[in-house]
Amino acid sequence: MGLPIPAGLKQEWAALETRRQFLGRSGKVLGWAAAATLLGSRGLTGDAHATDSTGRQSSQDELRMPQFAPKAKRAIYLFMSGGPPQMDLLDYKPNLAALYDKDIPDSVRGSQQLTGMTAGQARFPIAPSHWAFQRYGQSETWVSDLLPNTARMVDELTIIKSTNTEAINHEPAIMLMNTGNMNAGKPCLGAWLAYGLGSMNDNLPTFMVLQTKTNPKENNQPVSSRLWSSGFLSSEYAGVGLRSGGDPVLFLSDPDGVDREVRRKMLDAVEQINLQTLAEMGDPETNARIAQYEMAFRMQASVPELTDLSKEPQSTWDLYGPDAKEPGTFAYNCLLARRMAERGVRFTQIYKRGWDVHADVTGLLPVLCQEVDRACYALVTDLKRRGLLDDTLVVWAGEFGRTVYSQGGLSKENYGRDHHPRCYTTWMAGGGVRRGITYGETDDYSYNVVKDPVTVRDFNATILHCLGIDHNKLTYKFQGLDQKLTGPVPANIVPGLLA
Amino acid sequence: MLPDSRRTRVLWSVSLALNISLLLLPFIFKFDGKPHADWQQFLGRFHPLAVHLPIGLLVLLPILEVMGGSRHSLREAAEFVLGLCFACCLGAAALGYLLAFGSGDAGAGVTRHMWGGIALTFCVLFCVLARRAWLAGDAPWVYPGLLASVLVLLTWTADQGGALTHGSNYLTQYMPASIKRLTGLGAAGRAPSAGSFYVRHIDTVFETNCVACHGEGKVKGGLRLDSYDALMKGGKDGAVIVAGQPDKSLLVVRVTLPTDHKQFMPAEGKPPLRPEEINWLKAWIEQGASPTATQLAGVFIREEMPDLPLQPVGDYSAFMDDIHRMAEGQGAKLVSVSSKPADGLILNTVDVAASFGDTQLAQFNKYAPFIVEAELGRAAVTDASFATLSRFTHLRSLHLEGTAVTGDGLEKLASLSQLSYINLSSTRVTKAAAAQLDSLKSLRHVYLYNTPAQPESAGNLVQPVARNTP
Repeated sequence: MGLPIPAGLKQEWAALETRRQFLGRSGKVLGWAAAATLLGSRGLTGDAHATDSTGRQSSQDELRMPQFAPKAKRAIYLFMSGGPPQMDLLDYKPNLAALYDKDIPDSVRGSQQLTGMTAGQARFPIAPSHWAFQRYGQSETWVSDLLPNTARMVDELTIIKSTNTEAINHEPAIMLMNTGNMNAGKPCLGAWLAYGLGSMNDNLPTFMVLQTKTNPKENNQPVSSRLWSSGFLSSEYAGVGLRSGGDPVLFLSDPDGVDREVRRKMLDAVEQINLQTLAEMGDPETNARIAQYEMAFRMQASVPELTDLSKEPQSTWDLYGPDAKEPGTFAYNCLLARRMAERGVRFTQIYKRGWDVHADVTGLLPVLCQEVDRACYALVTDLKRRGLLDDTLVVWAGEFGRTVYSQGGLSKENYGRDHHPRCYTTWMAGGGVRRGITYGETDDYSYNVVKDPVTVRDFNATILHCLGIDHNKLTYKFQGLDQKLTGPVPANIVPGLLA
Repeated sequence: MLPDSRRTRVLWSVSLALNISLLLLPFIFKFDGKPHADWQQFLGRFHPLAVHLPIGLLVLLPILEVMGGSRHSLREAAEFVLGLCFACCLGAAALGYLLAFGSGDAGAGVTRHMWGGIALTFCVLFCVLARRAWLAGDAPWVYPGLLASVLVLLTWTADQGGALTHGSNYLTQYMPASIKRLTGLGAAGRAPSAGSFYVRHIDTVFETNCVACHGEGKVKGGLRLDSYDALMKGGKDGAVIVAGQPDKSLLVVRVTLPTDHKQFMPAEGKPPLRPEEINWLKAWIEQGASPTATQLAGVFIREEMPDLPLQPVGDYSAFMDDIHRMAEGQGAKLVSVSSKPADGLILNTVDVAASFGDTQLAQFNKYAPFIVEAELGRAAVTDASFATLSRFTHLRSLHLEGTAVTGDGLEKLASLSQLSYINLSSTRVTKAAAAQLDSLKSLRHVYLYNTPAQPESAGNLVQPVARNTP
């Protein structure tokens, strides 16, 4: 039975069919392959037997598990969009106080091209941090007074002061951090993990994205689904977002008069039609669509359970604070991330916007830190006390850092900071990384890395390593290249960060 | 006849003379722990290569002799092989001596290996003698007996040599735990948290990086680093530690040279010390190189018991069909830890936790030895599950958080020698019940959050240790 599809369109599709798709489908009855896929086929697909029974491509199947026994089974990525100012938070520069309003030496700035926002400035006056720093923990780590809770967990953290990027503007920089490439169209870290490791829970997506409600006081740069896209990988590996307000997933509840039974029957019928289309067109995206229908059906039961916080003990609220009761806050998202970790979600990425502090640093940073600091501490502490931190990697990073010199006017009370790619501070915690260390050093101006630089590629390679993946082996052939998250320039895992 | 017997006599005299000079070598040129001429080291380094030829020939010999019973040509060949064996033994032993003398190796292990080699050469020479008698029909047991003891001696000497190149635990490092227990090799290492900074950290650095060449077995440069006294005594160039002065301590100098420097340590392409290990060394020397100090100012080392090495779980390929079937359906699954099958399987029940009880768990009995992680968080299992779990002999990690277990019968898990992680958070496990876990030697992580055993706590507040205002 054919579908009423114009012949011209069919031809066009046929022309688009790649060799890989053709080979993939020429095996046998593709319908069975699709059925097996949507039934949650995953598992031990490393040997030839599984490849035969499901008809999937072996090169892809072999990847759907760690390549070696991993330290971390899942990861939670706290993305600080906008670029947090490292010298106000964790990269302590005590010498700067004496250099207030002095121009930054040319030798430090070099021939660097600045953004259009400060390139025209006549002076580049040094703005020392407005906040005091104290040393905490057995590791005696300096932490700003802005982060009193982060300070309480420094002995759990792996602080990287030497992260550096090649991009100076938000869009390319945030793409580079997330997808390893400044241009859109490449799969992001989460999609690579979903593709490489597979799911741990058939009832929830492998990769979930939580956006934090924006605070209108803050300078919010846009984030959008291009950051959690699967690029050229199948769209079933893309991140699934939960809404920050109202129903976490729109239209997830059945409308009045439709019960589970009816919904099931409807989906079965749709699936039959989709399978026919698949057999006819051979577009693997049809497969992804079928899988997503089925996932949505199962999520009708799993998401309400996931977001039902009524059984959380009082100690949870004591830890995360009152913000966590309000859906869409960063604290609420951190709590959800912990619940997802418990339920086998492989990768959760939380976006917190507003770090783009070009002006009014002293007004904005306390607000931002108040939203983020306690929740980060709560998440790490909660994972630790529940025994999850051993095999969960937590990553805290933005897309770049900020300049030591003031953008716009500098006064004792206030200053601004422009984008700064040459060095910025990130941290990790949990499975696979060494606790209680600070890695890398910057110069006295927090301007250049002077020891142990960590590029974005190295950073991502190290994350993959913690999850049992050799970044050079997690590849996908596309446009004639073995594409990977960390290519094409060579990347190295950073042994100094590893446990 | 005369030319032949004369040739034989000459050959004998030369052989014996060579062998005796080999025996005398160690007495004339004593091992002094100092390197000598480069040509000696150059030739000596062919010893590990050359030594395999006589080994192969010696193993071939009994095969030839036995097979020679029915195929006479083989027995004739055996004579030649035996002669060749002796020549090769002489050569290999001489090269070995050059290696040890030339590079300044010394130590009990080197000495044992050397005497083993020399004794072996003698035995082979006696074999040549005894074989004649054996062929003539006199003394029918001397030659076979001698040959058998040559093989035993060969094994021992080769093992000694292997220990010198690869370290003494090379063969047993990855031995399955069950065999280790049988052979009594499973004795656990010392407790890492006990003792002084030297014992816990400095000695550990030497143990992992240096002692293979500067220890009991091999003493390069006359320096041993396997005890505090030996360390402070130093080597042929004198003391290597100058208390209070890390920059003047030869040991620090040698490990901080550029890695391509001729005198860089660890030598011969072995991995360099990690930066923080060098920092510990420097700080320890700076603060007096004390054998007893337990803490050093400015040095913070998080002490954790190291993870146990993974034990291969065995071959479960017979179950692959079942495992695939589970993977394709919905419900409890067995998934691989990694693409290496020997890393074992994870029992994953998160999809069906609410309906996964003791009966369902019991169905996984047949996969018991292959499961290294059991994820039973929020599942419907009870204390009855411990009986089943006690058969998961390779279990390393057990998740029981949010279940109805009370801990009654936890002692059944005592047989799980690999178990290093157990999560009992949000259960009704009491302190008394949790105490049953004390006998589990390999247990590193026990989680009892939100249980009667560990009342809720709000996390530990870390107080600032120093304050700076802008």
